[in-house]
Amino acid sequence: MDKFADSATDFGAPPMVEGIAQVVAVEGNMVWLVPESGSSCGGCASAAACGSKGIGTVASRLEARRFQLVNDAGLRIGERVVVGIRQNTLLKASITAYAIPLATLLAAGALAQWAAGSDTITMIAMLAGLALGLGLARLGAGRLLVRGELAPRFIRRASPGETCNS
Amino acid sequence: MKEYILLMISAALVNNVILARFLGLCSFMGVTTRIDTAVGMGLATTFVITVSSMVDWAVEDFLLLPYGLGYLRTVTFILVIAATVQFTEMIVRKVSPPLFEMLGIYLPLITTNCAVLGVALLLVEGKMNFIGATLFAFASSVGYSLVMVMFAGLRERMALADIPRLFAGPPIGFIVASMLALAFMGFSGMSTS
Repeated sequence: MDKFADSATDFGAPPMVEGIAQVVAVEGNMVWLVPESGSSCGGCASAAACGSKGIGTVASRLEARRFQLVNDAGLRIGERVVVGIRQNTLLKASITAYAIPLATLLAAGALAQWAAGSDTITMIAMLAGLALGLGLARLGAGRLLVRGELAPRFIRRASPGETCNS
Repeated sequence: MKEYILLMISAALVNNVILARFLGLCSFMGVTTRIDTAVGMGLATTFVITVSSMVDWAVEDFLLLPYGLGYLRTVTFILVIAATVQFTEMIVRKVSPPLFEMLGIYLPLITTNCAVLGVALLLVEGKMNFIGATLFAFASSVGYSLVMVMFAGLRERMALADIPRLFAGPPIGFIVASMLALAFMGFSGMSTS
């Protein structure tokens, strides 16, 4: 029996955001995976008419998002697997990437407007705030990475015909 | 100070991008099946709307208005939005590749989100100063994210509810969205005195 199968039925485990990926390479004890095509709104009823669907699903974009996992489950090239990350990790990642730079940008802008009251100075201060925020985001992301929170986890092998919208 | 706070409340709640102006409805219906995707999309959109609005304000004030190129506004703004999304994507990838792997999927969806262009055009119409325009854009996108998360929470609950087959899926989604819009109409009665 798959030793990871239990994680899918452990109701006490923190909620996971799941996705399907395909194994494209095996290197020693590591596997390279590429997320399967299907944008985050692929399940939308108007997906066929929505211009955003094609943009996020081109092969090159998916290839750019390939990632590595430890191959404890003996995966082979071509296999489809369900991988997941903790729900709160996604929130932490979003806050790190977007909320921190926005907060420093707005704080710098408000401070400059209060001190100088000039549009040009406010603009320069906001750019500086954005750069500072991106630096802080980099530090925060590094900390999350060290704790191993950003790494997707193998959950189970995908059943035939299973999609990320099913 | 007070005028900026009122501007932000008005942009986020009274004139909500989704429920009062009916912009960004594709992502509103498409990405709100789960709260986590709604939060991810909301934060990414907040970042892009704020940054692209800053650039749009600068382009409008330093280029389009002085040289009488107002007729190129829509095309220019679309270009600025696409460039901002590309810039954000590059920055997130540079700041942290694992973050990009996790969040990169939301960024291309924002390029075609009409809420981004709508907010940029609205702030030009409002003839605001730079900080006012930035705060207006930020508050508008916070209002967008708020509604996205609220609606995602409602849809997660609806998935567990016993809904008649005729109304299941998008129909009940639109009915709930209209009720949310009605609830948000209550904010238009707010008084500042």
